Amino acid sequence: MPDWRRVVRERLTPLGLDPTGDAELAEELANHLEDRYRELKRSGAEDEAAYHETVHELDDIGPLQADLKRNRHITGREPVTIGARTPGSFLDDSWRDLRYAIRTLRKSPLFVLVVVLILALGVGANTTVFTVINTLILNPLAVPTPSQLAAVATLEGDKPSASAALLLMSYPDLIDYRGGNDVFESLAGYSGPRIVICEIGRSPERMFAELVTGNYFSTLGLGPSAGRFFTPAEDGPPGAPALVVLNYNTWQTRFGGAAIIGTTLTINHISFTVVGVAPPRFIGVNAVFGPDMWIPAAMAERLLPTDMKGALSDRNKAAFRGVGRLKPELTISRAQAGLSVIASALAREYPDTNEGHSAAVRPIRDAMFASANSGSSPILFASAILMAVVGIVLLIACSNVANLLLSRSAARRQEMAVRLAIGAKRQTLVRQLLTESLCLALLGGAAGLLVGYLGLELLFSSLPGSANFVVPKFDTTVFAFALGISLVTGLVFGAMPAIKTSRVNVADALKEEARTTGRSRSRVNLTNALLVGQVAFSFLLLVLAALVVRSIQQAYDFDPGFEVAHLAVFMTNPGQAGYSTQQSKEYYDAVRGRVASLPGIRSVSWASNLPLWARTETGLEVEGHEPRSRADRVTTVLTIVDLDYFETSGVAIERGREFTNEDRDRSIPVAIVNEKMARDYWPDGDAVGKRIRLPDEKEMRQIVGIARVANYSTWGEAPQHCVYVPLTQVASDAMTLYVRSSADPELVMTQVEHEMNAASPQVSVGGSRTGRQIVDGGLFQAKVGVMLLSIFGALALGLASVGLCGILAYSVSQRTREIGLRMALGATEARVRGLVLREGMSLVAAGMLIGAVPALLAGRLLKSLLYGVGTSDPLSVGVAIVMLSMVGLIACYLPARWATRVDPLVALRQA
Amino acid sequence: MSTPPDREWKKGSAEMLVLSLIEGRPRHGYDLSKLIEVRSAGALRFHVTSLYPLLHRLERERLIEGRWVEKPDQRRRRYYRLTAQGKRTLRSRQKSWKDFVALVSRVMGVEHA
Repeated sequence: MPDWRRVVRERLTPLGLDPTGDAELAEELANHLEDRYRELKRSGAEDEAAYHETVHELDDIGPLQADLKRNRHITGREPVTIGARTPGSFLDDSWRDLRYAIRTLRKSPLFVLVVVLILALGVGANTTVFTVINTLILNPLAVPTPSQLAAVATLEGDKPSASAALLLMSYPDLIDYRGGNDVFESLAGYSGPRIVICEIGRSPERMFAELVTGNYFSTLGLGPSAGRFFTPAEDGPPGAPALVVLNYNTWQTRFGGAAIIGTTLTINHISFTVVGVAPPRFIGVNAVFGPDMWIPAAMAERLLPTDMKGALSDRNKAAFRGVGRLKPELTISRAQAGLSVIASALAREYPDTNEGHSAAVRPIRDAMFASANSGSSPILFASAILMAVVGIVLLIACSNVANLLLSRSAARRQEMAVRLAIGAKRQTLVRQLLTESLCLALLGGAAGLLVGYLGLELLFSSLPGSANFVVPKFDTTVFAFALGISLVTGLVFGAMPAIKTSRVNVADALKEEARTTGRSRSRVNLTNALLVGQVAFSFLLLVLAALVVRSIQQAYDFDPGFEVAHLAVFMTNPGQAGYSTQQSKEYYDAVRGRVASLPGIRSVSWASNLPLWARTETGLEVEGHEPRSRADRVTTVLTIVDLDYFETSGVAIERGREFTNEDRDRSIPVAIVNEKMARDYWPDGDAVGKRIRLPDEKEMRQIVGIARVANYSTWGEAPQHCVYVPLTQVASDAMTLYVRSSADPELVMTQVEHEMNAASPQVSVGGSRTGRQIVDGGLFQAKVGVMLLSIFGALALGLASVGLCGILAYSVSQRTREIGLRMALGATEARVRGLVLREGMSLVAAGMLIGAVPALLAGRLLKSLLYGVGTSDPLSVGVAIVMLSMVGLIACYLPARWATRVDPLVALRQA
Repeated sequence: MSTPPDREWKKGSAEMLVLSLIEGRPRHGYDLSKLIEVRSAGALRFHVTSLYPLLHRLERERLIEGRWVEKPDQRRRRYYRLTAQGKRTLRSRQKSWKDFVALVSRVMGVEHA
């Protein structure tokens, strides 16, 4: 049997068969010939004849030749030109770009590490802030179709206005709105979180309960995660069974997630049966802070006798907010019109209470964010500022990376030139460089997510009482955001360097061959511009950070009108322990006596308000000032105080006298007003001796003294009216003990609590804190702001200084020859150092000059958040200048030192 | 026995012949050339040097697909089978071929037997 493969190879020699590439063709042909030969033999042919007959098949090699040519043209392995396009789909091209990018990046791991770190900080800061905003503002309410929900509230004034603040409404009004409207599928009410005492085991704990109507959960469209919710029947008349639904987080954290349905909890000395647990992440219709539990509104008066007295029947007692689910395809304005009709009917029917009020229907968001004092929401404002700040940090990171890429592009000029020279198109190069940037951006984005997650953990680990607070959570929106900003970032920092790099002049670049001298003027300008921008933004953030730090300092030095040092307060609620008015009075006296006799105590008193936590009341009557309408009524802070209150709290009496033991039940009713009240209502004369009437009282009270204005509700607030009345004449079943010590109040707090418990073990003591802690609490938001701005300012400064140092170092490395020449010609080390320092510091100075303009503008924007600091506070600006200059100097000094280490001989030999 | 067909005719119909023959099942090159020879009673014959370039072209056009198949105690052979695209092409060629034959027959006045 002939060796047919050999025969094929020999006969086809003229075709130049490739021993590897065409082996399969040869095999196929050989197979064919062998089959043919066997067949001929089988049909009786001689060996010789069969061989010749078979080989004859290969005579005409023309078609085979054409076939081989065509085949090689298409599938043959031509040498691939780097960067050259071969025909292929977009996906193929992208895939090739990607593989090439990964190969290139793997060659410079340090560069990748630095870029990814810078981006991770930028993206991480943005992710942290966005996660908070996403949870708080974009998805504040964890219920199905929140867009169908509307907030229902009372408004001052006859006409609903879009800007007026939303007020609470009374329970009877709520029920009338619920029964009379034809715009809501259902309308529910809730009270907002109220403090209750819950006995878990033996120890009483302060918790927050929200009173809700029976249809609350069904209106929101929620299902329980365990047990069930209330039925409408369970929100019936007072005396309905005492039931409670727990917050999921509270169930998990305080009750360990154990089987709890059907067990009883003692809340304010009443036994409640747990019927259900709310779904996870639901904290009520509250943006930030929610209750631990929900209780049927019918329990209001039994549960909170002080707070909710008459809340279910009295139209004067506004304690509820409304939330309604709109009927399908009904708009808010249609619902508004529907409720306005009911509101006018109610005003006609109950002029005493409802005249001058109207109903408001707003998107549910408005109710969640509108704060009591200001119609606009501080949360939205703060979020916008934070987002702007982290946006700036990201911009700095971007420009830093762009600069690094530009520097790197100088090193890749040769590579690009070679690729262009052998036929790569510029757009291919741009594509490939952009692919590299996008790879870097995605890596940075992934690392940024991690940084963002850690940032969030850090931020929220500092929050107290975590079960009640909203918990920001990474969800698909956050991932999409991180991916989005990573991609945009990649394009932003990649585009300019990519275009610049690909614009290399082939001939010039190739001629440079191994010489590292060329500094493209335009590239240097762009680099410097980016750097100046970074410095400007850092300066802006530093000034802002300095402003808020100064503002906080000023805030602590600020005089709130009461004495913070040596003060401690303790909250009690004998009413919740079931005490009668008389028993409460006895308890207050007993505690005052016991605590006053403790060593180290200077004075003791009781007041109904905690400092900086006072609420205002409306409806005070001033003799001689008849309100023109109900809306014109006097609004004041009303505080019930015991003897020695003014001495203990440090609020000075400017005129008249304090309350004394002579002010008894049967003596003339008396009151003390603050200066603001005195000035506003008796501008011409002495307020002492004039008369006022409290909202629920029949008799007029005579003013016996005028007290200094203090901060009652918030730190640094605008002056408010305030009226003090004596505990000896007005009953109160919830009071706060004020204690002034001669030394650090922390030292006596345990003893004071011990004495209070000794006076009555049933009355629980909670919320004990020192004056300093009260101020800290009042300034909590501002301090979080300072913390964040300082962190982001430091981040910006760090990024900018790394950028400055890197760019100068690169510049020095590019100017080795020039520096060598200068040194060879006699320049001293100091001169060379000065040369580099001057270059760097002039950029810093330019950046600060440019940054000063937005810094001043942004200061004005922050004005409402600053305490006692001008928006162009010279000290803040000075601090920012000094800090930036110092860091800039360090960042410039290192490259300057490297410059002096240039050996003139070596440098010149390089030429 | 009819006279051997014109060279041009053979060229034009070769593709269709190959496609039709592998429609039923995959075949290797020798099998194909044998079948054509036998069924045409020796009137049509393809040399290796023209059969394989044809197969390779059809493969490049994705009408057929070749695969090396190994069977016990045999050399491995490259079998060709029709692709989905090949099937569609074959259908349309068969149809136009039939139409063409019918047309030519009508024009020439050839009667069916």
